[in-house]
This record gives sequence, C-alpha cells and structure tokens, in this order.
Amino acid sequence: MSDFSPLAILGLGVVGASCVWLLEELVAGARPAPARALRGLGTTLRAPLRRPETYDNALFHLAPGLLVLAAMVALATVPWAPGFRGIDFQAGALLFAGALAYVTPAMFMAGWGAGRPLAVVGGFRWLALMLAYAMPVAMVITAVAAPAGSLRPTDIVNVQHAVPMALVQPLALALWLPAVTAVCFLPPFDLPQADAELGGGVFSEYRGLDRVLVTLAQRILLLAASGMTAALFLAGWHGPLLPPALWMALKTAAVAALILWGGRRLPRVEVDRALSLAWKVANPLAILAIVIAGGLTLAFYR
Amino acid sequence: MSDLATAIVFWPAAALMLGTALYVFITSSMARAGLLLLASLGVEGLVFLALASEFLGFLQLLMMSGEMVIMVFFMVMFMPDPGGLMGMDMTHDKRRSASVAIAIAVGLAVVAVLTDWPARVAGTDAPDVRAIGYEVMGRSMVSFLFAAMTILLAMVGGVLLAKHGGRFGIPAPAGEQRGQEND
Amino acid sequence: MVSLPVVLAAGAVMFGIGLYGALGQTNTIMVIMGVELMLGAAMLNVVGFLRYSHPHGTSGNFFVLVVMTLMAVEAAVGFALVVSVFRHRRTAEVDDLTDLKG
Repeated sequence: MSDFSPLAILGLGVVGASCVWLLEELVAGARPAPARALRGLGTTLRAPLRRPETYDNALFHLAPGLLVLAAMVALATVPWAPGFRGIDFQAGALLFAGALAYVTPAMFMAGWGAGRPLAVVGGFRWLALMLAYAMPVAMVITAVAAPAGSLRPTDIVNVQHAVPMALVQPLALALWLPAVTAVCFLPPFDLPQADAELGGGVFSEYRGLDRVLVTLAQRILLLAASGMTAALFLAGWHGPLLPPALWMALKTAAVAALILWGGRRLPRVEVDRALSLAWKVANPLAILAIVIAGGLTLAFYR
Repeated sequence: MSDLATAIVFWPAAALMLGTALYVFITSSMARAGLLLLASLGVEGLVFLALASEFLGFLQLLMMSGEMVIMVFFMVMFMPDPGGLMGMDMTHDKRRSASVAIAIAVGLAVVAVLTDWPARVAGTDAPDVRAIGYEVMGRSMVSFLFAAMTILLAMVGGVLLAKHGGRFGIPAPAGEQRGQEND
Repeated sequence: MVSLPVVLAAGAVMFGIGLYGALGQTNTIMVIMGVELMLGAAMLNVVGFLRYSHPHGTSGNFFVLVVMTLMAVEAAVGFALVVSVFRHRRTAEVDDLTDLKG
C-alpha cells in the first residue's frame, strides 16, 4: 500500500471532471464557455435540495454520495504514471471492478428514493442492465490480467511495454468498451436516466447539490473508465519521445473522446436488446476472451 | 498493514458491519433491509482488508454488490409491503428467536475469548495474490472444480425450479394464468 | 488493538444477528438474508484465523472462496424455491407453508 494520496486523487477527480466537461463540449461541436458553465453550476448549487414525497429521504440523498465514492475509488486504482497513482494494491484491478459494481446500488437507491414511477422504472432497468454488464467488465479484467500474471494495474501496464494489449486481445477491448460505457450510464446505454423515454429517469428528481454530485460522479466515472482502458489496453504510460504522464493523458483523452463521440452517434439501445446482447453475446464472448488470454499467456508471456 | 492501521480500520468497520446487520431486521422497508445487508457485507470486505486479506476483501466487495442487489430485487418482488409504509410486523416468535440468538452469540463469544488460542504467528503482510492463484489452481484444484460444478448445478436447478410449471412441468393452479391481479 | 478473540467475538455477534433473522423473520427472503449473514460471520472467522495464526498460508483463502460460492448458490437456489412456491401459493411467508406439519 504505497504512496496513498487521497488528496491528490480528490484534486485529480475535480480537475479531470472539468477536462471531461471540456471534452464533452468539444465533441458536441460547441465552443466551450467556462464562465457560463460556472454560472450555471452556481445556479444549480444554490437551488435547495429536494425532499421526495416518499419517506426514503436517506436513500435518496445518500445515492449521489455513494456514486461519487464509487467513482473516486475507481479513479484511485488507475495507474497514471510510474509513482503517481492513488492506491497500489496487489489486487487493484479487482478493486476497480468492485468499485464500479457499487454504481448499481447507488442507482437503485436514487430511483427508489425518488419515489416517482419513472424513476423507479429507471432504477430497475439499471439493475437488470448492470447485472448483465458488470460481468464482462470483471471477466475482461481477468483476461487482461492473465498475461501480466498479476492483478496489480502497474504490472499490467508494464507487461505491455512492447506490444499494447489492444493488439493482442482485440476481442477483450471490443467487449470492454461497451461494458464500461454502460457502467458510466453514458449514451447509447443511458437507459436509467434516458431523457426521451423516462423523462430523466432516476435523476429526474435531483436538484441542487445532489444534481451537481451526480454529474460530477458520471464524469469521474468516465475519466476512471477511460484511464483504465488506456492502462489495460493501450500500454498506459509507455510510448516514445513524450514523457509518461503526457502519454497517459493523451490516451485517456482519446478513449474518453471515442466513448463520447460514439454516444452522440449511436441511437440509444433498447432495454431488451441491450440485455439480450449482454447475456447472449457479450458474456459468452467474454468467457472465450479468457480462454484466448490463457492460450496467449501460455504461448508468449511465460 | 501495521497493527495500528489494522485497529484504525477494523474497529469502525466492524461496528458499522454489526450495526447495519442488526438494522436489517429492524427496519420495515424492504429496499432498506436489502441495501443495509449490502452495506453490512460490503463493509465486511473492508474488515477483511484490515485483516490483511486484500484479495478476499475486494472479492467480497465485488460479489456482495451483485448478490445483494439481486436480493433487493426479490424482496421488492415478494414482500407484501416493500416500501414499509404500513410498518407491518414481519417477525414471529420474536422473543424466543432473540433469546436463542443472543444465547448462541454470547456462548460463541465466550468460547472465542476464553479459549487459549495458539500464540500469534509473526508476519502481517498481505499474502501474495499469486500464491492464492497457485493454491486454487494447484493443491485445491479438485475442490475448486467441485465448487464450480456446484454453481453450475445450482444454476441449472434454479432455472428448472423457477421456470413456468416447475420441475415436473405441472402448471401452477389457476391463479397463475390469470396474471398478477390475483392476490 | 485487534486480536484473534476480538475478531472471533465480532464473528459470533454477527452469527447471532443472522440467526435471529433466520429464526424470527416470517418471509423466506428475509430468512435467506439471515443465512447470508451467518455465512458472512463464518468468513470473518476464517479471515481472522488466517491473519493471526496462519499469515503465510493460502489454504484459508480458499475456504473463504468456497464460502462465497456457497453464499451465491444458497441465494440462487433459495430464490428459485421462493419463485416456485410463490407461483403455486401466492405467498412467500414461511408461516403459510405448513403442509408437512404433523
């Protein structure tokens, strides 16, 4: 448990979330206007918290906190550069999957606590969706960890110093990207809060600080997911000429831009189709990816 | 982890774990009960972390999240009053079960405290995750395969039991076909 | 400071809570939750032993893995039973299932 730096991770979360906002604006083709965005943030923050009419106020207001916590823990496991990371556990990649798994109860709490039909529907949708998509995430992590022979993200980055994992295991990457997009509840998998279908869904009742926290959590989640993609598949900080941290930042930004761009391009996946894709295609293929990873490990990485 | 770090993490985490575990059976809202159980077992992962078993702790976090969320789902489905709005009583034999539980807990705790456990062995580092992998895929391979087969059997058996018509293919009584309006 | 008896005592209390739930609750799902808590207490004990009397061994980890498997299996089969019973009886309360009572 070396160089545990919660404050650095907190700072990274806030700075990274603003970078993600910038990226969102750029991908949307808008000219970023930080001053206006800050004014908007101030207005939202000044709005009072809403009391839902059910008595599950506690669940309602705890949910954004749990979301932010899960996102921060996931962010802390990402290896940013040699020596700069939040937590360096032996089983850090497992902790990443574990942290992402807590988005599910948070969403359920948000939907249930709001006590509005559409919000509850959103919560249950998310439950079904995430049970299906959390598994490919964990299985792909297994497939990527096998060549490294370690669950420590730093080791997984270092094993790719010659060839990035994306070239070795394209199947795993192809499964991973939609799965993490779903975990970040971004379009085209924004089923729990789909504006057009559920009128805001689980988040429709959030006002003020709650709303800001939810948005923050989503951006930090995207940052953590794209950082982990860069670390697990794109060789992390390895690269010629440029300093390691810059490589990592570039790769993370590229992955985040790809996810956001895909979200703007693709139509929203219907719930039943998303579920049948996950259970009938993604999960069997993820098992296949583990088998392939085993073969590759025996052949090349021993 | 040092002894001090263990104590700093262990005591609050254990208190939270036991408190939420107790509250599971006090609250009358089913959603809360399930989420509190998730909190209890998730915090148990933190306790494992404090006790230098980080792999098990993270695995516990990951597993319990999925499992308990499914539990919440089923509770909301099968409970007469999932929101707990009527505050109905869902216990029977409260006094007797409480006394049995307290007696057994106290008995076990007394045994735990009074037994002369072997002296503590030095070494508090987390065991190498790789060593656990070799254990699972080496010496304990057969038992691990057995566990895997058990899961497979449970999956098949569970689907068979829960499927329409049950395991003998006998359709449910008329209430089933009429849909959910039947209470 | 933490020592083996403390961990075991915490496990005992958790087991007691789980037992109370399994005995005292009327709904099958709540009973399953009680059983999960008892299994959690067993895992806590194993981890305690692992840390304080066998820190370099790995077989204890394996025990915990098996218990986790058991928790998942128990929940899955339990839910399947509840679904099956609910189909036929429209209830999941254990007090209503007394057909085999003498």
